[in-house]
Formats: sequence, structure tokens, C-alpha cells
Amino acid sequence: MVSSNTTAGYAAGRGDAPVPKYSTGIAKVVNSALYRHTLGAAVESRIGRIILLAGVPLVWLIMLHVGPIYQMLKISLMSHYPVLPGVESHFTLDNYAIFFKESLYFTPLIKSFIFATAATAVTLVVVYPVAYYVAKVVKPEGRSKALLLLLVPFWAGELIRTFSVIMLLANRGAVNVLLREIGLIDRPIPMLYTSFSLGFGLVYLICLYMLLPLYSAIEKIPGQYLDAAADLGAGPFTRFRRIILPLSKDGIVSGCSLVFLTCIGVFATPMLLGGPNTVLFPETISGFFHGASDKWPVGAAFALIMLVTALITAGIFMRLVGGKKRSAF
Amino acid sequence: MRNMFADAPRTSLTAIYWAFLLYLLLPLTLMMAMSFKDANFVAFPIGDWTLDWYAKVMQDKQFLEACLYSVMIAAASTLAATTLGTWIAMLIVAEGIKGQVIIFALACLPAVVPGMISAISLRIFISTIDMPTGTAAIILGHTVHAVPFVVVMALTRLRSMPGNLVDAARDLGADSIVAFFRVTLPYLGPALVGGMIFCVLLSIDDFVRTFFLGGYRPTLPMLIFAKVQGGMSPEINAMATLVLVVTAAVGLYAEYMTRRARTR
Amino acid sequence: MQPVVQFDNVTKSYGKHVAVENLNLSIEAGKFVTLLGPSGCGKSTSLRMLGGFETPNSGRILLGGKDVTRVPPNKRNVNIVFQDYALFPHMSIAKNIAFGLELKGFDNQHIHRRVSELLELVQLQDYAKRLPSELSGGQRQRVALMRALAPDPEVLLLDEPLSALDAKLRQQMQIELKSIQEKTGKTFMFVTHDQEEALTMSDTIVVMNKGRIEQMGDPNTLYGRPGSVFVANFIGETNLLRSTVVGTEGDQAALNWNGVTIKAAQGGLTPKAGDHLYVVLRPEAIHCSAAEPESGNRIKGKIRQRVFKGNHTSLSVEVGDGTMLNALVHPADVSQLNGEEIWVGWKPETTTVIPDRHAHN
Ligand SMILES: Nc1ncnc2c1ncn2[C@@H]1O[C@H](COP(=O)(O)OP(=O)(O)OP(=O)(O)O)[C@@H](O)[C@H]1O
Ligand SMILES: [Mg+2]
Repeated sequence: MVSSNTTAGYAAGRGDAPVPKYSTGIAKVVNSALYRHTLGAAVESRIGRIILLAGVPLVWLIMLHVGPIYQMLKISLMSHYPVLPGVESHFTLDNYAIFFKESLYFTPLIKSFIFATAATAVTLVVVYPVAYYVAKVVKPEGRSKALLLLLVPFWAGELIRTFSVIMLLANRGAVNVLLREIGLIDRPIPMLYTSFSLGFGLVYLICLYMLLPLYSAIEKIPGQYLDAAADLGAGPFTRFRRIILPLSKDGIVSGCSLVFLTCIGVFATPMLLGGPNTVLFPETISGFFHGASDKWPVGAAFALIMLVTALITAGIFMRLVGGKKRSAF
Repeated sequence: MRNMFADAPRTSLTAIYWAFLLYLLLPLTLMMAMSFKDANFVAFPIGDWTLDWYAKVMQDKQFLEACLYSVMIAAASTLAATTLGTWIAMLIVAEGIKGQVIIFALACLPAVVPGMISAISLRIFISTIDMPTGTAAIILGHTVHAVPFVVVMALTRLRSMPGNLVDAARDLGADSIVAFFRVTLPYLGPALVGGMIFCVLLSIDDFVRTFFLGGYRPTLPMLIFAKVQGGMSPEINAMATLVLVVTAAVGLYAEYMTRRARTR
Repeated sequence: MQPVVQFDNVTKSYGKHVAVENLNLSIEAGKFVTLLGPSGCGKSTSLRMLGGFETPNSGRILLGGKDVTRVPPNKRNVNIVFQDYALFPHMSIAKNIAFGLELKGFDNQHIHRRVSELLELVQLQDYAKRLPSELSGGQRQRVALMRALAPDPEVLLLDEPLSALDAKLRQQMQIELKSIQEKTGKTFMFVTHDQEEALTMSDTIVVMNKGRIEQMGDPNTLYGRPGSVFVANFIGETNLLRSTVVGTEGDQAALNWNGVTIKAAQGGLTPKAGDHLYVVLRPEAIHCSAAEPESGNRIKGKIRQRVFKGNHTSLSVEVGDGTMLNALVHPADVSQLNGEEIWVGWKPETTTVIPDRHAHN
């Protein structure tokens, strides 16, 4: 019975419905002499499989994830780079010493840290209620929409977002024009190219890096905890301080670290929104790489100083707030 | 009594959310509005409206070339980052390999190094291997930047993959390579498409790496940066608006893809 | 005849934990063989070693007489039906079934013919284009089975394939599975911890315990003449009567059980007076009556519990001082057992005996 049905099905397959296409090409590739003697032979052995799996990733990770940092370290310890003919480069710590000798260099780093820390703190305070609202107040069906709306500006990119801040804060920007129209001011308040515009721009730039970690941490807090606490007579403030805040600690830690590390490394924003008083460390470092190339070792040393201090700061923060868990992601 | 207290935070949170959304959208809206201003200086109020700036931008050879160049770099670095990121993720989830934690940490390293430092270190790196600044260097830099994100996305998806799908493929006669291409890769598919679009956006958006690694040919952000420094004009707004609309559309599509990946 | 599968002194351990110990097992072609045992006894490990997913620490595995101990899974002519089916979620049903055929290098026509044939075997021809997520549990099960059968393996391995199905579907699939096995004439190696499933389908049952084979045989033998206390307890319900041998009479042994003398078939053993034995007394072998039976073993007891089970009633009867016996009674007979006090009786030839391994004598 099976066989007669089969013939019928086969005939039908040839007549009306076309025979589906199966991936017979795979077998041709796999059985080809070329494949069998190369990849095919390689996956046969354990060593071959490990090389296929780990070779490229390890080379990439070591060459391009570690390599640049390593080269930067190496050059920061050289007296000259690029090494010109006739000039001997020798080992030196002078490049680091320069940093501590001149307040010209010292101040921008301090400023960078102040801006990054302040921006992180402001972002946390501003974004937390928003994240809480989306994660706990909005009904589950509406959540992804509420989140998506907040993500829209994120797609504009760093430079365009920074640029758009100018529209708001310029002397003939929206804020000043509006204030003058309603008669609060006679002449524009100079907001652009100040610490204020830079801070405003930084917060505007990075607030979404804070939103996502906070949101996912708060969303994970089971609703019963809050109900249970309410049953026990805890008011909204107590509930927030005793339950929500500690349970969203992971999100706070990773959000703040992410925002802080991003802020420290922002290059274009201070150049577009900052003024003469807001020269930050990236701009200082950048100076060593333009013009006389001889200054590269100093620039490398400075970049490392910034990297290490930034990572240590983030690390201390994670330790203090996050306790034993130290992973940023 | 209790309801009143329960509702007060709720109402204020709702207000905060909408205020925050306004804050996020206002500058961009102003920026877009300014692109229609019928005057060659940037100032409010807008007054007369025009589409002339768009007409001008669409004929601006420099802009069109920068677009093309940015897209080309984005495509190349995305392709490279997706391949490498997936490969690294496969290594991290592989059984019988030690040091996965270290490999994962190394893979994430570029994501925790601040952008400026990453750019400087790459600039130094390409000079130590005698690579000139220019297209290849930019692609390399963007790839390094994007790999950690691909790794994390691919890992999330791989960890949700039923363990015995690959076993089943092997059982039916596929070697490890065939099993990867026929089963694992299609399973990763939607997540990878989302990840790739994210990489494209990262690359098109990147300024600092391009600034240090690039040659004389400007990418989109470089061009906009140079124009802003050269003086404001609604023309820049029109340019930025065009870029914004396209990238937002692409981002929305990526969001849709990742969501579909999660539900499938 | 040469066995298709042979485990030759196979041992597999994970670290210090021994999962399978000195496994020796031969399986004849065309048989439905079941590995039965409690959770963690090493059934899946044995199966995975045969599939090529684990390598034994020592010993050999032969497939059709060839040593395959170190051959990778893709080079072995066996296929597995996984517990959770492991159907490829992005491929249609037809493509899933075709997967193994494609890799064997068959042409499009051949694959199409074979896939249609297999789909018809389980009446899923209309579902060929659907994705696995669009099928019911039972249908997925059938597809997984067909996918594994498609490349025509020497042995089909099934690792608890029915455990995700509900009770009713499960029974239906047991019958279907058995009939497919008979139709295709393939050797099936089936793993389960459900003794009823094993009894329903198998030609041979291999009872495993703690990485070792406890007993092997056809369902009748295992049920009727379990070789150890473990097997007796694991397969079916049973009353185990620990007794001391008093003497032998022909092929029956006279035993002392809690001061009562009973007789039991020797079941191939040669007990001596003073030996300790277990008598295996199945609940359905017990006959309960109000009056004392005329022949066979009998003892007075009190009904402590009646549980109505539809086609029979299960009685717990206390005999002697606190010992409980389980008995099955037909509905017709229950009505006669009104009082608490009854007689429990059984024929000596319906029981068998097991040596008490732990006894010191
Ligand atoms: N990969 C592994 N690593 C360490 N121990 C393992 C591994 N796989 C199995 N084991 C151990 O080996 C023993 C046998 O496992 P196996 O999976 O064969 O049991 P099983 O008989 O199939 O049980 P179940 O009915 O629960 O599936 C168990 O004690 C298990 O804990
Ligand atoms: Mg198992």
C-alpha cells in the first residue's frame, strides 16, 4: 500500500506540483576532492577543529584588541617615535613625567573627569524615573513602544545630535529667541561654547546609554516584592529606597560605568559645543598627534594615563556600589 | 486616601516621561525645521520656508561622495565585524575549550576603552605595522569598534539555541563546518541581521576613529564636522536631516528584526 | 548471526563519576531493544556513545562488526531521535527529513521520492511545507522519527522520544512506533525509564542500574522471572516475600515466610535448606476469597485499604503482624469480600524466587 501510494505521489509530484529544490549542492561541495583534502580533513581531527575554531578569533583578539593598547604602551616609553634615521630611541619615563610637571596638561584631565562625573550623575537622576516609568508603570504591551520612542534620537548619531543642540542654545537659537519674544531678556544669554552647553550636550548625547541598562535591571524586579512591601505598610518612598534602588543596583552600576567611560572619550562634542575654557583632555592628547610627529610618545603616555585613571575610577565605583559583582555588562 | 498617594507618583512619572521625550526630540526637531529656512543664516524664527537647501544638497557632489564613501566603509567593516564577532562567539560557547572568560573579556575590551583612546591607539597601531591612514585603516578601526557588539548579540542568541540541534545535524551526516552553515548560522540569522544594521549605524556615525585614521577623503560625519566648523548654514541642517531620516529608518528596521529574532 | 551492535566492555566516566561500567551488550538485527532503568543509570550515555557523541574511556563499540569507537557521529550509520526532537526550526518538514539525504549526495528526484514516501508513512504528506513550530507535539515526534529513518541507518536510536507527550498520545505513539519498526524491519534501540512503555514495545529489554546491566531478556521473562530484587521492583508491581528455605519437593521449594510455610517454583535455582530467598508474588496472581482455598499457598488477612481502579480493585491486605500484601481483584469478586477478614491464596507455580544477595549464609 505504501509503495503504490508512493508511486502516485511521485507521479503527482512530476505532473502538477513542481518537485521542491533540495540543497544537493552541499553534498557536491563536501564530497569534492578539494574540500575533503582541506577543510574536511581539518575537522576530522581534534587539533584541526580547534585551529579552525580558535585560530582566526585568537589572532584577531591578540592583534587588534590587545595590540593597539600594547603598542601605545610601548611607544609611551620611547624617547622618539617615529624613529627617524640618525636618531636613537631609548627607554624613558619622561613622557609621563611631563604630565605631572605642567598644569597645562593636568587641568584638562581634571576637567574631563569633572565633566564626565557630573554628566553621569545628572544622567542617572534624569533617566532613572524615565526607566522606572517604562519598566514598571507602563503596561507590558505598551513597553516596547514607550522604549522605542526614546530610542528614536539614538539613531541620529553622535555628531548630528551634538549639532542639533546648537539649534537650541545658540544666541539666535530657540531658547534665546523664545525668551526674548516673551520679554524676559533683552539680549541673548550666551549659552553656547560654555561649560553649560558642553554639559547639556554631553547629557543629551549619552542619556540612552543609561536608559537601557537601568530599564533592563528595573524590569527584572518582580512586582510581588513591591506589593509585599506595600502590604507591610511601606510608603512609596520607603519602597523605592529599600527595594527598588538596591535591586536595580546592577543597572545603575553598568549604566554609570558605560556613560562615564563614553563621556571621558568624547572628542567631537567639546570641539563643537565647548569654548576656550572647556578644553578637555582628548583635545589635549589630540594636539600631540597633529603637527610635529615627534610628540607621539607624549600623546601615547597621556592617553594611557587617561585610560588607566578612567578604568580605575570606573572600577572603584563598581566596587563601592556594586559590591562583589564587578562585571560591567 | 491610599489611592491618592498611589496615584501621585504615577502621574508625575508619566509627566517626567513625556517631558524627557520632549527633551530628546526637541533639538532634533528644531534642527530639521531649520533645514527649511529660506535664508542663508541659521536663526529663529524660521520665517519663510523653502526646499531649496535640499535641492542644493542633492546636487552637492562632495556630499554625495561622502555618502557613498561612508556606506562603503560601513558595508566593509560590518561584513568583517559580523564574521569575526560570530566566530569569536562560537569559540566562547564551544565545549572543551578553556579560558572562555578571558576570551570574552578580550572580545569586550574595545567597548570599554573610551573612544578617543581607542582611536589614538589604533592610529599608533597602524603606524607600527606601516599601514597608511585612509580607507583600509578606517575600516579596520570601525571593525574593532563593532566586534564586541556582534559578539554579545551572537552570544545571547547562541545561548538560547537548543543544544542538540547541532548534534542532530552531525548525527545526520554533517561535519562541524556543514553543521555551522546549515544549522547554527540560519538560527543566528535574524539576530545577526539586527547586529549588522547596528554595526552599519555605528560605522556611519563614527567620528573620532575616522578623524584619526582617515585620509583626505571625508566620510559623512567628517564632512558635517568640517562644515559646522566652517560656519552655520541651513544647508548643513538639510544634510543632517537627510542622514537622520535614513539612519532612523534603518534603525527602526533593525529593531524590528531583533524583535522578530526574539519571538521566533 | 552477527549482531548489529556490540558493546564490548565499555566504560565511561565523567571525572570520578562512573556513568557506564563494563557494559557488554549484543543486539540482533531487526529487533526492538529497550534500555530501561531509573534516572541517571547511564542509558543516555550508552546511547550517545553508540551515536558517537561520547567516547568511551575503555572498551570497544562495534557496529555491523566494524569498530566505530572513535568514529565521529557524521561518519556512523546510526541516527538518533532526540528527546525534544531537535527539529531544525528554520527548515520545513520536508527539508528536515531531506537533511540527511542531501548530505549523502542523492539527487533531487531521489530525495523527493524518499521524503514523500516517509511523510506518507506517518500521514503527514500535507504538512511537507510547514515549519516545525506549526506542528503538534505528536506530529513533530513523527517528523523527528522520519528524519532519522530517512538516511536508512543500521540502527535507529531513540532517547526517551515519547516523554514530552501526554499520556494518551503517548500510548498511541507506542503502538505506531512498534508498527513502524515492524514495517521497516529496522533495529530500534529505545531508551526509557517507563517500564510500561518498555513492556509494550520491546522484543528485548535491557534493565540497567547504576551504569551496569541488571538483567536482559524478553518482556515475558523479565516480568515473570525477574533475576533480582531491583528488576522485580522496577518492572510491574510486586510483593516480595523474604523467606528461608526449609526443603525442596520436586521443582518446588518449601519456604518459611514469617512463620508460615509456603511453596514456590524454584525458577532454575537450586536452593539449600537455610538459604534466604525472595518470593516474587505479583498482585494479579493473588486470589482473595471469603472462604479458605482448598489448595495452594494460603494465609488469613485483613483488608486495610480498597482502591477502586475501574477495571479492577486494588486491595491492601495485612497478613501476620503488619506485613502488607497488594492484591488485584476483579470487580465481580469484590462484592463477595464484604468483611474485613479474608483469605489470601496463590498457586506456587505463579511465583518465582530470587536469591537474597545480601544474606550471609
Ligand atoms: N556531560 C556529563 N558530565 C558529567 N556527568 C554526566 C554527563 N552526562 C551524564 N553524566 C552523569 O552520568 C550519569 C548517567 O547519565 P545518563 O544521562 O546516561 O542517565 P540516564 O540514564 O539517561 O538518565 P535519565 O533517565 O535521567 O535521562 C548521571 O549520573 C549523570 O549525572
Ligand atoms: Mg537520559
